[in-house]
Order: sequence, then C-alpha cells, then structure tokens
Amino acid sequence: MIRLLSIPVILAGLVAAAVFWSHDSGDSQRADFAFVNRGDNKCLDPNGMSWMQDIRIAYALWEGLYTPDPVTWKPVLGTADRATVDSTRTVWTIHIRPDARWSNSDPVKAGDFIFAWRRFLETPGEYTALHFYIRGARQYSADFADYFAARQKGDTKRAAPDFGSVGEKALDDQTIEVTLNDPVPFFPALLAFPPYFPMNEASMQPFKEKDGLHYNQKFTRPPYLVTNGPYRLAEWSFKRRLRMVASDYYWNRASVKSRVIDQIYAEDGTAAFRTYERGDVDWLAELDSDLAAQILAHGKRSDLHIFPAFGTYFYSLNCLPTLSDGRHNPLSDVRVRRALAMSIDREPIVKNVGRLGQPISFTYVPPHVFEGYVSPAGLPYDVARARRLLAEAGYPDGKGFPHLPILYNSEGLHGDIAQIIRRQWLDNLGIQMDLQGVEVKIFGEMQHTQQFAVSRASWYGDYADPSTFTDKYKSDSDDNEAKWNSPEYDRLCALAAKETDPQKRLDLLSRAEGILLNDAPIIPLYTYVNSYMFRDQVKGLPLLANAMLMFQPVHVIRSDDGKSSQ
Amino acid sequence: MTRFIAWRILQLPLILAVVYLITFALVWLAPGSPYGNNDRALSEAAKNDLKVRFHAESWEKFLTYYPWQIVAHGDFGPSLSYEGWSVNDVLRSSLPVSISLGLLSILIALVFGCAAGVTAALHRGGILDFLSLAAALIGISLPPFVVAGMLIVIFSDGLHWLPSGGWGEFRHMILPGVALALMPMAYIARLTRVSMLDTLGHDFVRTARAKGLPKRTVVWKHAFRTAFLPVFTYLGPATAYAMTGSFVVETVFNIPGLGQHFVNGVKNRDQTLILGTVLVYAAFLLVLNLFVDIGYALIDPRIEINARPE
Repeated sequence: MIRLLSIPVILAGLVAAAVFWSHDSGDSQRADFAFVNRGDNKCLDPNGMSWMQDIRIAYALWEGLYTPDPVTWKPVLGTADRATVDSTRTVWTIHIRPDARWSNSDPVKAGDFIFAWRRFLETPGEYTALHFYIRGARQYSADFADYFAARQKGDTKRAAPDFGSVGEKALDDQTIEVTLNDPVPFFPALLAFPPYFPMNEASMQPFKEKDGLHYNQKFTRPPYLVTNGPYRLAEWSFKRRLRMVASDYYWNRASVKSRVIDQIYAEDGTAAFRTYERGDVDWLAELDSDLAAQILAHGKRSDLHIFPAFGTYFYSLNCLPTLSDGRHNPLSDVRVRRALAMSIDREPIVKNVGRLGQPISFTYVPPHVFEGYVSPAGLPYDVARARRLLAEAGYPDGKGFPHLPILYNSEGLHGDIAQIIRRQWLDNLGIQMDLQGVEVKIFGEMQHTQQFAVSRASWYGDYADPSTFTDKYKSDSDDNEAKWNSPEYDRLCALAAKETDPQKRLDLLSRAEGILLNDAPIIPLYTYVNSYMFRDQVKGLPLLANAMLMFQPVHVIRSDDGKSSQ
Repeated sequence: MTRFIAWRILQLPLILAVVYLITFALVWLAPGSPYGNNDRALSEAAKNDLKVRFHAESWEKFLTYYPWQIVAHGDFGPSLSYEGWSVNDVLRSSLPVSISLGLLSILIALVFGCAAGVTAALHRGGILDFLSLAAALIGISLPPFVVAGMLIVIFSDGLHWLPSGGWGEFRHMILPGVALALMPMAYIARLTRVSMLDTLGHDFVRTARAKGLPKRTVVWKHAFRTAFLPVFTYLGPATAYAMTGSFVVETVFNIPGLGQHFVNGVKNRDQTLILGTVLVYAAFLLVLNLFVDIGYALIDPRIEINARPE
C-alpha cells in the first residue's frame, strides 16, 4: 500500500518541482503599456529583419539618422541634427547630433552607421536591395559574395573587394557622406527605416563567428543588445514576454511617455483576444479577422478600430510563355489577362469573405496613402468586354481554354476567395479552373519559382513612396513573381528615379502603374485593413496605414482605483 | 535487474540515432524552405548567406555538423526560424512548461481515474457505475480543444474562478491540466474498473474477506494493488501523451510549452528545431517506458526481470 501510494506522492512532488522550474523569475509588475504584437518576434537584428512585428520593435529600440514623426510618419531628423544635399541631389552630408548615445552611454558615431550598412552588403538580408540606391553598393555586394564563396572554398589569395568604392563614408566621428546613384527624393524615409539603422559593433564583437563575417544572433538578446533608440531591450523570454524600458541615454528622453512597455505573446487569435479582454494588455495589434467580423456584425464596439492598411490583396497571373509543367501558357496573352481581370466582381469578396469593410480596389497602389499620388483608373468590371477579349484571344465562351490551377495558401480566407473567383470566371467567361490550396511555406516557394498560372498575392509597402509598390514589377525585381516584362514600365520607373521634381516624379510613377494595370499581370481586388483593439484610455496610438507606431507618445490614462501600476 | 537496465540504457543512443536520421530525411525532403518570409522573395545571395551561416548548404554539410555538435556539446544548433534563439534555448524555456503541465494532468488523471474506476467496480451495475461510464465516455470522445473551450466558458467567463490563459502561477495550470487530463483519466477509470472486477473475483480477495478484514483494507490493500498493474503499464504512454500531445491545449490557453514548437517547427520547416524536439520527445518516451518497466518490478512481486531466459 505504501509503495502504491508513493506513486501519486512522487508525482505530486515532481509537479511541484516542475512548476517551480517552469515559472519565470522575471518581474511580474504590470508595464505602463502592454500589447500583443501581430505575431512572434523572429529576429531582432536589423540586418535580417523583414517581419512586421520585428520592424515594430526596431522602431522602439533604434533610431535612424531620420526618424518617422509619430503622428504623420513623415521623416524628421532623428539621430542626425542636420543634413544637406548638394545641387545634383545625390550627395548627402549628414551630421550626427552630439548628444546621441547608445543604451550603454557610448556616443553614437558615424562609423556605427557605416558598419551596419556595410553588413547589409556583405551578409545580405531581405532588404539589402534598399542599399543599392548608394553608388557602388550593388557591385560591391556581388563582388563580396564571390570573394567570400572563394574564401570558403579555401582560396586565400583572392583579395577582398574595395569598400572604398561604395559611396558611404564617415568623414569624421560625427559626419557621414552618402553618394547616391540617382536623386532619391525619399532618401530621408529610407534613412528612417530599420535597414538603415546603426549597429553597435563593440557590443557585437564577442558574438562574431569563426568565419569572421557572421554574428551569433544571441547578441540580439538582453543584456547584450545595445541600441540607440528611445527604449532598450530589458527582457526577452522566448514566447512569453518582451520588455522594453526607456533608455537612460536617449537624446530625446522628454518625448518618452511610458517607461516600461511589454509585448505579451499570444499565438492564437482567440487567446490574444482573451488576453485583451482580461485587461492584461492595452492594445491588440491585430484582432483575428473572424472575431472582428463577429464584433462588427453585433454592432461596433468603440474599442475596435478598423482602417485601411498599406497593402493590396490581388491575384497574380503568370506571364511566361510556358507554364512550369511545359504547357503553353494562355495567360501570356494580354487579352486573356485583361478578360480575367474584367470579369471579377469584387463586391461579394469583401462582403461575404472579407467582412471588415475592406475597400475594393481596381488599382495596385493603395489610395490616399501617398500625398500627391493619383493612381490611374485600372480595368473596370465589364463582363461583356471581357468575353469579347477572350473570344479575340481564340477562346470564345471559354472553349478550348485549358484547365489551370488557382494557387493559394490554405490558411485564412484565401480558399474562400479563390472559390468565389473560380465561380465568377466559370459563370462569366466559361473558363474552368482548379483550386490548389497548399501550406504557406510551399506556397511561397511555388510563387517565387513561377510554379503557378494564377496565384493569390499581396504586397505591403515599406516606406512612404509609391516606388515601394512599383519597384516590385520592374523586370529585374526578385519580387516580380508574375515575370511580367515591360520595357516601357521599366523606362518610366527609371525616369522617375532620375526626376528631381517631386510632382513630376509621382506622375511618372502613376503612368507606370497605368501600364501595369492595363497589361494586367496582376488583378487588384481590395485594400487590406488593419484591425486594432484599444480602449479610450490609450493615448498617442496612431491609426497609420502601415500599422506602425513610435512608442514614445503612447501612454495609458489609468483610473485611480489603487490597482494601477502608476 | 541491473543488467536489464544497463542493456536498455545501451540501446538508447542507437534508437535515438535512428530516430534522428529518419526525421532528418523527412524534413530535408519536405518541400518548402525554412528561410525567408513568404511575401517577399529572398534573393539568392541572402538565401545562400543563411545556408552558410546555418551549415545547411547540403545534406552532407548538415549531417557532418549538427549530429556531432549534439553528441559533443549537447548543442542542437540555432533555430532556423527564430534567429535570435538556439534550439537549446527554446527547449530550456518550453520543456519545463510542458513537463509540469503533463505531470499535473497525469496526477489528476491517476487520482480521479482510479477513484472512479474502483467506485464503479464496487457498485457494479449501480448508478455510480453508470455515471462513471458516462463520464469516461465523454472524456474519451471529446477532443481536448472542445473540453478546453468548455472549461473556459464555465470556470473563467462564467464563474470567474480561474484565468482563461497565461502562465506564471499555479492557478494558470488548473484548467489546462484538467483539459489535458480528461482523456487519460477516462481511460484509467475504465481500465481500473475492468481490472478491479476481475481481481475482486479472485480467491485471495475472498480469503482476505473471509479472514474478516475490513472492507477498506481488502479493497485498497489487496485487490487494488493487483488491479493497478494494467493502469501502471498505461502510465508510460499516458505521460508521454500528456507531455507531447498538449499542442491544442497550449494554443487555447496560450501556454509557452513545447507542443507548439513541435507543430510550428514543421510549419516553418525549422529543420534544427524539429530535430531537437523530436529527439527530446523520443528520449522522453524511451526513458518513461524504462521507468515503467522498472516500476513494474517494484510493485508486482510476481515479476522478476532477472529471470529472463538467456
């Protein structure tokens, strides 16, 4: 009997020990502002960063030479206190403010920026192309890759390419000179974007790997990570909590309203919503779309904020002459693409599937986000014309049109949207398509290697210039999944890049978008929306299309019930 | 006994190596790449750079680097999708959570399952037997995510007794522990009942009764001890289930356990993380089964491990 009883007793002891072992020793005090990000943090090294939730955190931890204005998101001087550009608008001289400090109290130097920018060319990340505006950068990056590959193979004689050929230099500890290929009117916006943030080399040195080039990513964790922004990283417990505390050395400390900010992890949409409902967080950065639709259907709650996003949902059509399975690709005919584009009624998609009042869209660049930019009209919904175009292309009433797959990733609502579109093409054009839902990782690979005829696609802009959208469909772009190739489009984009008059430039880009829409390698469907949840007590949280924020002005007015942390 | 244990322990690395190789073959051949996010195409240069950094240019490179690191340093390498973290970090952070949750649920399952089983057996055909059968059926039939949702609706949203999610205090563990315990509890209850009925009919129980021993002693000391053996055998797999099968419960209750990495690792094609979690789980299963075999010998005097025919 005693031996038998010992089983639950031992188990209970083990449970107690395990509970003790599994719990945080971290500070359980409620932060001044807590939120659930849109997903997990994957990488807090600006060099490898590309996920939105990481970029959000980057804006709190670092600061570029320019920084986004918290309200308008227009770039204003940040770590720099003055910047001048020469008459060709290609040579920038930027001066770092003397009171700019790293979170370890070291002064921020020009070399810290050059170090970070150089890393982008030597260990390329997803945003390396944003550095190719700088003279010589593209060439240097390619040469360095060759050099490094040769060195890996044991070729020690090969000389490293000369970094001096790249147009980025520290003139002294406070001054940076950047030489661009073209006048880039949005260069300040780029300087305010994480791929242009500085890095603190000294603090990363202990994490350098044996190849002399890469860094063990452990340097991005507290207490090792040294940053120059309004906040420093105080705690990062894997999948539990990320805590940022106001930096004691940030030059503009007066602008920081909340001292301690917590990001709480909640993977599942419903679990995240419960976390918000419990009051554990003040802001839910993305409410699960099903829940949002339910809340909307039951009458809007005042703490649900839905507003247009900086992204477009569209369908992409493969423009190559042959499909990946070797068949002739009917979509290589512009008339077929136009017919497909003009036979989709977007209303039922947003009304029945999207359900969050997404604005339907006939254009690629989202409306109203770029001041002075007007998109051309795009192809209308016109079934009669679509049928004529299809007949002209040799498929009257869809006869003889091969079965093509519609590729999408099965997560979320993409399958429902694909069904609607398949039905509409069948009803309007007599074309029978197949649905091909795959897991997102496979989807990404298939899309980027053109293993599709029709594919669901989306694009979010990065910085405040329409080229963040139009660049994607340049013929030499890695992101041009449709493999659409239009010399005229490329020419207009190149002209825009050289143009110094801001309005003329936007007009050139708009003409380029007109060509894209008319040629229909893509079929825009709707503009994404963001869905935030936060209560009235939360102040300083902007509703920006890009779903970004500067944390400095954000704070919560807590009622004096004695329980509040302040 | 010692020889038996030594033999089993010697087998462990061999089995783990086979598990590693099979898992590696599967993750390496699976379509989709661990690198990059899916909206943006990763340039070849950036992709190659990541592969160099992660020693994953080819399967030979991978297999000549990582297994050696595991054997020599106990290092599973960096996670390919959570770049700032190593697989060891991930395990260190989430394994204790899954273990404590799993152990708690097994404790709940064991105590309540055995009690229900014995009660049912003693009141065979009666109302308590029927109730216990009904409860067990529900427990076996309902998937954990339904149970979890119901528990939240009743005890959190309705009665406000317990939190609906989070991790950090004991009260956070109760609802997920119960949700996870229901299935093994039902199974244990049924096992105990059948086994108990069988045992109660044996001569030694009748003898004990005839000696005039109090009912409690007969039931618990004599009958239950024998009847418990099948339950004990089941404890190994049940504990493994509770520690590994908690993905759904972890998701619903937002618990930072290992189950989610098991699933998300596959979704992200995080090769090192998948291999790490699979190895740890495999090791757990093997060790737990070994414990059960040893415990068997301690509990049941009829079993003598050394008497293996050679």
